[in-house]
Amino acid sequence: MRTRLLMIVGICWLMCTVVLAQAPNTPASLQSLKITTSSASPDNLLKGESTAWNQIAFKHVALNRTPPLFDTDEPAALEIPIVDVRCVHAGDKLFLQLSWRDPTHDAVSLQEVPNTVPETRFRKVQTEENDRFFDAAAVMIPSRTDAGVAPSLQMGDADHPVQIYYWNATRGAMLMEAHGRSTTRRTGQTFPASGVYLNGQWTVTLELPNENQGTLMAFAVWNGGQKDRDGRKYFSVWQVLE
Amino acid sequence: MSKHQYAMVMDLNKCLGCQTCTIACKKLWTDRDGTEYMYWNNVETRPGLGYPRQWDRIGGGWKDGALQPSPLPTMDDYGHAWEYNYEQRLYEGKRQPVMPSPEPKSGVNWDEDVGGWNEDENYYFYLPRICNHCTYPACLEACPRKAIYKREEDGIVVIDQDRCQGYRYCIKACPYKKIYFNEVTGKSEKCIFCYPRLEKGQVNACAAQCPGRLRFVGLLDDPESPVHKLVLVHKIALPLFPEKGTQPNVFYVPPFNPPKSDNYGKSILENPRIPLDYLIYLFGPEVKDVLTRLEAELKKAQEGGRSEVLQLLIGRDAETRFHIRPQLVQIQV
Repeated sequence: MRTRLLMIVGICWLMCTVVLAQAPNTPASLQSLKITTSSASPDNLLKGESTAWNQIAFKHVALNRTPPLFDTDEPAALEIPIVDVRCVHAGDKLFLQLSWRDPTHDAVSLQEVPNTVPETRFRKVQTEENDRFFDAAAVMIPSRTDAGVAPSLQMGDADHPVQIYYWNATRGAMLMEAHGRSTTRRTGQTFPASGVYLNGQWTVTLELPNENQGTLMAFAVWNGGQKDRDGRKYFSVWQVLE
Repeated sequence: MSKHQYAMVMDLNKCLGCQTCTIACKKLWTDRDGTEYMYWNNVETRPGLGYPRQWDRIGGGWKDGALQPSPLPTMDDYGHAWEYNYEQRLYEGKRQPVMPSPEPKSGVNWDEDVGGWNEDENYYFYLPRICNHCTYPACLEACPRKAIYKREEDGIVVIDQDRCQGYRYCIKACPYKKIYFNEVTGKSEKCIFCYPRLEKGQVNACAAQCPGRLRFVGLLDDPESPVHKLVLVHKIALPLFPEKGTQPNVFYVPPFNPPKSDNYGKSILENPRIPLDYLIYLFGPEVKDVLTRLEAELKKAQEGGRSEVLQLLIGRDAETRFHIRPQLVQIQV
């Protein structure tokens, strides 16, 4: 009994120590995301060309793995702990580059269904691999700038709707909206995006409308090899644009 | 709970395996891009692989109140759609034999009429399958989007195509693997029990077209309907794999083949052509009682009596087989 009590006290002390040690040290850079202004052409930025991006500092953004949502879900390890994010103003656009290590390339290049071709559209495809899921990434931004508080990380909430810029390695990019968990809705709109997989790393570039300093952003990565889709994914906490 | 429940009974003794129901459904509902491999209605030979292959053995459904795991079937399990080179052969003058492409390696009804062996005799029967529009749909429970719902007015289970995001949890959860992913729309689809037809007083396309007249349709809770009589009054129709826990609303009159050769006059249960274990595997232990009831009805008819059950099963006209009640299930707006 006494040993157990000592253990509980010990654990509490350890937890307090860890929390107290972390709190004052939490550097602003962990939650803030610096925007750089670039003179590179928007085309080159969108293509992810190294000459345009190499000069721009990136930030390691920590990713968390959502816990299993269903009893029947296969367990999934934290295979992608970090996404590197670069953020650039060019012209009247905001370019975001997300890169992350992913040993499995879960994408299919294939013929598209006719009449849905433009490069940036959310593509209609037939992979003949219905049991597969594809690598993807997304940026979530609050829809309202006057809200004052950060929306729920679970796709916003009723008073704080969000916009989600979603990119899928096989299907392309699309804009979604949500106001809480399980409310995500495709808007039917798309946006310019590109993705390159090289040497076990994804580099995905998204072109967004210009955003002001102070805008919140959260990131998500789906690993197709881990059967990620839906809330089964990697996610970051909110970051602030500076 | 739904106010009413549409149900279907299929008499497996009358199924010819002609696939007319399959084509009726395909032409009506799955003749679109992305649905090539889909058969909301399929007819498979039993014993056999089924469609998708081994669907009955890979999981899903309920156990002790919890959803059971299951892998997603692959396209190899469903069978890839193939085309023939008619253009080249008939119009371009290329002197090639007409060949399918890609080379078929599996497909819906791939093992048609292969069946099984019971000691020295071959046996098989056909099993037509649609979505079971279950009372406790595992698919509905599994969907994180709440895109699947059971219609309150008639118990038909449908997927809201606006809400579905193609996550495919429903496909895993369905123990009958009767939900299909459409890659073109990025959403999942399934049999809708032809509800637009029912709402106009027309029976389901698969049932209307069936040359064997083996399908009976009506409300399970309507005492006038043939499904009510066959399932609840005469108790000669059973759901498939009742132990999966979803409580299907499609029921089967089990195959009632004569006994094996050289068993004239014997009961079918004494030396059955189709092993009883296999029927128990499909329909549960109650199948033995159902076969006993059916045999008693048959005996009654053979001795010159009138069997209400057999008269109903003959299903001479549409009025006997179908009892569609659009007025009863109308939603009051």
